[in-house]
Amino acid sequence: MSAWRLLLGKELLDVVRDRRTLVLTVLLPVLLYPGLLAVMSGIIAAGSHRLKNETLTIAVVGSATQQLLARGPAPSKVTLLSLPREEAEAQLRAQKIAAAVQAPDDTQRSLDEGGQAVVQVLYTRRFDRSVEALERLKPVLETLNAQTLKVRLDARELAPGFVQPVKLEPLDLDFQKDLGPLLASRLLPIVLLMMLMVGALYPAVDLTAGEKERGTLETLLVAAVRPVDVMAAKYLTVAIVAVASAVANLAAMGLTFGVGLSLGPVNTSFRLGPAQVLLMLACLIPAALLFAGVSLAVAATARTFKEGQSLMTPVMLVGLAPALLSQMPGIELTNVTALIPLLNVALLIKAVVLGSATTLQVLLTAGSVLAFAGLALKLAASAFNSEVFRFGGKGTGTQSSPSKPV
Amino acid sequence: MAPVIEVDSIVRDFGAARAVDGVSFEVSAGEVVGLLGPNGAGKTTTLRVLAGLLTPLSGRARIAGFDVSTTPLVARRHLGFLTASTGLYERLTGRELLRTFGRLQGLDEATLSRRIDEVAGELELTPFLDKRCGALSSGQKQRISIARAVVHDPLAYVLDEPTATLDPVASRDILSLVQRAKARGKAVLFSTHRMEEAQYLCTRLVFMRSGRVVARGTADELLAQSGRGSLTDAFLYFAGATP
Repeated sequence: MSAWRLLLGKELLDVVRDRRTLVLTVLLPVLLYPGLLAVMSGIIAAGSHRLKNETLTIAVVGSATQQLLARGPAPSKVTLLSLPREEAEAQLRAQKIAAAVQAPDDTQRSLDEGGQAVVQVLYTRRFDRSVEALERLKPVLETLNAQTLKVRLDARELAPGFVQPVKLEPLDLDFQKDLGPLLASRLLPIVLLMMLMVGALYPAVDLTAGEKERGTLETLLVAAVRPVDVMAAKYLTVAIVAVASAVANLAAMGLTFGVGLSLGPVNTSFRLGPAQVLLMLACLIPAALLFAGVSLAVAATARTFKEGQSLMTPVMLVGLAPALLSQMPGIELTNVTALIPLLNVALLIKAVVLGSATTLQVLLTAGSVLAFAGLALKLAASAFNSEVFRFGGKGTGTQSSPSKPV
Repeated sequence: MAPVIEVDSIVRDFGAARAVDGVSFEVSAGEVVGLLGPNGAGKTTTLRVLAGLLTPLSGRARIAGFDVSTTPLVARRHLGFLTASTGLYERLTGRELLRTFGRLQGLDEATLSRRIDEVAGELELTPFLDKRCGALSSGQKQRISIARAVVHDPLAYVLDEPTATLDPVASRDILSLVQRAKARGKAVLFSTHRMEEAQYLCTRLVFMRSGRVVARGTADELLAQSGRGSLTDAFLYFAGATP
């Protein structure tokens, strides 16, 4: 058996027996996401249900407003309270009432003469109850508007289209009833790339800086084995753990979305098909190879596990930036963005979920990430061949450092 | 008889500092040579060059006639290298560790099984050979570490301050290993700060200071050169710590 395969077996055995790695890569996603999302979903649903059934107090400012509201249907689950404007505003800010409504004093006359009454609804987006109060007032005022308009049109024998020749009717074919794919397209790129990185970074630090600290690396390098074989085994181990982490996360997220989240009246269920999963893996695996190379090259320069973790923080931030950028408005997967590493993976995941990825974009993305993974591998190989890798960074003069005579 | 370990005019810098400056010595089969010197003398750097972990600026190092720079893999197959750190993979068992390193050193399955049995018997590893290394006592770890270094039955043993962090019982295991190796015709290079060990084990001593060899010979010869009555006093003399 070749040395790298022998070492790969040893590294994998070592990693599989490491509880911290298992918790980070498998248990965390499998248990945490469904649990966390289920709890969040439950809290949102319970809060939404409670709000919808709560009786809200709305201030009515002035007698003209009272008379206007009396002409329409009574708002659902609302207690009306007559208050002066200043008092209504103060109580709204103090959250004692949910909203206030005020019509001009000459509302009745304006309406009778065919004019327009501008009715103000005082509310604030800072409180959910206030937004809900606005929602409950809207149908009342819309009904009053429709009733008055009908009287006016009937009097002039005009059709409703006379006052609204062109009517806008937005019809969202994909998301009108189901927000699942949209939510998944927002969450999956960030979660999958983040966990891919977590899956790569921890073993990369453990297998390089950690081994230096524990003294095992030196014993390995004085054996009859080439540094490139040591590097290949560690590289593949890190990549395998990263892919396992990404797959575990994909499965957990897929399961969670498959079951569906209850976000009030909105249905958020979403099922990933086999083709979608394969397309995502086609890009996640090259991304894992890229992360493995970069994280090994960086971690190899650290002397201790703790120092390695510190070095990984900027790597993590740089790696997460493309995932966050992919959520910016107007950033879509194109033949150009498909060439930008990591951003292309995030955009591809998004496009795959929304069903808009093309074969060319998938190939460009996979090819681009593989090319950069090759560069990262070269960087890692260079790091492994250096004495810095064997004994740590410069300038410490410790027993394990080559920076001073020992 | 050709020397098993050869260090020939090794020079090695770290930045502007010269760590090893033209060091030469040899160790023949059946010989134990002690490498002595204060901290910073260049002992560990010399041993790391010998193990191929560091590349010398000039000079050559050979194990069993093989240059460690140009033929590192062949040279290392004849080298058993032990450091002060036990350097064990704590999540692997002793047996798994020995199998891995034995295979890396090029042993075939039959030879490896035989060698594991031999070192397990010699170092009394059997009761804990199938336990994970992380669960072992420090003495047991040290014995597994020794077994790892010699499982491929190398011609040359290079031991870098192997007793520095050990209690007397664990130190005794190391000293026994060196004695047995010597008796079996192995060439042993032994770096230590413990003068009683050096005097007890070594056939010859090489004393380093500031990257150079400043004295060499048997313990008696070093005592004579320094004009001191004990090896500890001779150490202080050659280290420049006494007039």
